[in-house]
Amino acid sequence: MKRLMTALAATTCLAGPVLADDERIVVGFATAETGFMQGYDKPAQDAAMIRIKEINEAGGLLGKQIEVVNADTKTDMAEGAKAGLSVVDAGADLVVVSCDYDFGAPAALAAESSGLISFFLCAESVKAGIQGVGPNSFSASVLAAVQGATMADWAYQEKGARSFYRLLDTWTEYNKGICDGFDWMLPQLADAKLVGEDTFLNEDASIAAQISRIKALPEEPDAIMLCSMMPGFVSAVKQIRAAGINSMILNGSGADGSYWMSAVPDLSNFYVPAQGSVYGDDPNPEVNAFNTKYEAATGAPPATQYTYPGYIMIDVWAKAVERAGTTETAAVVAELEKMKDEPTLFGPRTFTSDLHHQNKAEYRIIGTEKGKPAVIGSWTIAEPIPLDALMK
Amino acid sequence: MAKRNHSRLSILTRSVGTPLLLSALLVAFALLAWAVGSRPFNQTVIDIFVQVMLVTGLYIFVGNSGIISFGHAAFACLGGYVVAWTTIKPVMKKSAMSGLPDWLMAMEIPYWAAAASGAVWAGFWALLFGAVLMRLSGIAASIATFAMLAMINAIYSNWASVTAATSSVVGIPILRSVWPYLAGAIIAVLVAWLHSISRHGLTLRAARDEPTAAAASGVDIPRARLIAFVISGAVMGMAGALYAHSIGVVTPNTFYLGMTFITLSMLVVGGMGSLSGAVIGVLILSSLIQILRWLEAGVQIGSSTFALPGGVQEIGLGVVMILILMFRPAGIMGNRELTLPWPRARAGQEKAPDATGVET
Repeated sequence: MKRLMTALAATTCLAGPVLADDERIVVGFATAETGFMQGYDKPAQDAAMIRIKEINEAGGLLGKQIEVVNADTKTDMAEGAKAGLSVVDAGADLVVVSCDYDFGAPAALAAESSGLISFFLCAESVKAGIQGVGPNSFSASVLAAVQGATMADWAYQEKGARSFYRLLDTWTEYNKGICDGFDWMLPQLADAKLVGEDTFLNEDASIAAQISRIKALPEEPDAIMLCSMMPGFVSAVKQIRAAGINSMILNGSGADGSYWMSAVPDLSNFYVPAQGSVYGDDPNPEVNAFNTKYEAATGAPPATQYTYPGYIMIDVWAKAVERAGTTETAAVVAELEKMKDEPTLFGPRTFTSDLHHQNKAEYRIIGTEKGKPAVIGSWTIAEPIPLDALMK
Repeated sequence: MAKRNHSRLSILTRSVGTPLLLSALLVAFALLAWAVGSRPFNQTVIDIFVQVMLVTGLYIFVGNSGIISFGHAAFACLGGYVVAWTTIKPVMKKSAMSGLPDWLMAMEIPYWAAAASGAVWAGFWALLFGAVLMRLSGIAASIATFAMLAMINAIYSNWASVTAATSSVVGIPILRSVWPYLAGAIIAVLVAWLHSISRHGLTLRAARDEPTAAAASGVDIPRARLIAFVISGAVMGMAGALYAHSIGVVTPNTFYLGMTFITLSMLVVGGMGSLSGAVIGVLILSSLIQILRWLEAGVQIGSSTFALPGGVQEIGLGVVMILILMFRPAGIMGNRELTLPWPRARAGQEKAPDATGVET
């Protein structure tokens, strides 16, 4: 029986891989098709497929149709390495990896060691790129720190917030990244002051101790910077409001979407940065057109802004390939690194030889009043966040 | 004295077929990977060898002592982080793990030295923990090993300056050649076999089957368990180290509950009381997982593509495991070992009364 199995294994495998050649242009998705990461990877991948379809319908890239190959990482790091190697062997010119740095890194490292470009679908850690993978790796999203900095700056300039409270959920790098950006921005805002700070853990059932320290302040802070993510942040928001604290709550993009809002009825004074609005009210009509297109393709409108980076990824990569006239890695990376404020559907994008990520970006501010989220403005921080503030 | 030497020699000749056959099986897998020449398949075989090391490491303690350990993934964690500490380029280490002592920060050693250090480090901690834990028996010992796992996981998940906490540690040189892993798996099998035919292995199995009688015959049970615990901890440390080299990334959570349960179930399905069971359990279950994965991805049959819906792999694996345990409650191999037919028959003719031995 064993021999039969291995013989079967061998034949299936021999039939599988196809040699890479220059006749085809192939995008390889080494992403999660099963497991919890699928919830993050699938929407962004669907958005990427929309862009690929658009390019193919317009005549293709360098006159060739873009082909797609897939390998499932099963939300597992060891399987991720295999999935990365599978799409590389299937001739991928671009290797797309999972949204999360931890789960995407093994596949990205496989691409890097084969000398290929890898793109994280929507990772927001500075490590998702040169710093944590190598010189041919990129991320399609925006650094978490930009979200924290954007929210602090916007609340100060537009809402007149002066006293800030910093509440960090130490669970993930992403959360710490948001607060790092907030920490970088705050000292630049004249007479803004940090009236207190605290930490909690995502899995904490109660943050009563943290809340009583906020309540013990002589005055309620103007704004609470909540550096947290799903699922713990919902309970944190609920407890803050239940305790009668009505300060505005500033978040990272991880709080985008309305799917969780039934847990905190009539939520108000709640603000989230997003690369585009999923509520159909984006100031840019093309974003709303994209939402309609996405709904037509998948049967439902985008649930959160994390859908959009997939579209941006294919867009900027295809432009770089077009300009380089080849899919050869060094030439495409050079073209990507030349991009400075390159216009995309969801705001300008910049890549440099030091940073394959966005350390400055235009954000829509989504405000929620009485449980209804809507775009209330757009904000871009004046200066990009320097590398040393990102790497701490 | 002469008689004792003679009996040890006969155990050796009677049982040497087991490691030889198992090694031959592993070599066959490696040659298959080499012959196929596809990188994902090569990576799959590497993965299988790492699993063989992990499950063999677990078998050395669990199989011989009869105590289920839920804590052995902790030793793989210890080994994996030794690789992170000793093989990543110093520049990268400085930003990720700033609290390392200077001598460790500057260290950059080859993979085999890192794997050996991982084994020693894990063995050292197994000795410390084992000195306390091995006095316990039954379910108390099992739960205590689990407590050890939780403790090591908590330390490695929170000591940011030394282990980078829950963040992935990257920059470990990736070994994509199948041969070092083959060597590791064969070493694990040889160590397990040598231990099981040594007096420590024999006394431990005696203590497993008849603790009262064994103690009455002068077997120091905690000591026999401790020796097995340290050896199995060291093998797990080596396995964790090579796992780190196979994907180039370590996080504390890779060495936690997932690894604990997959290695335990492979051991139980293969046959807990047998080294052959440990190795064959891994080979069969891993091959099965792989085949189901291929079917999930879709197989071309003639002009049509046949594909199973996503997630069938996990369900299929569960069903097969239940079926195996239904029909073979002691696992595929039960308590038997694979042996070469001829030396066993001869030994049987010569020394029929001396039948206690490896064939427990």
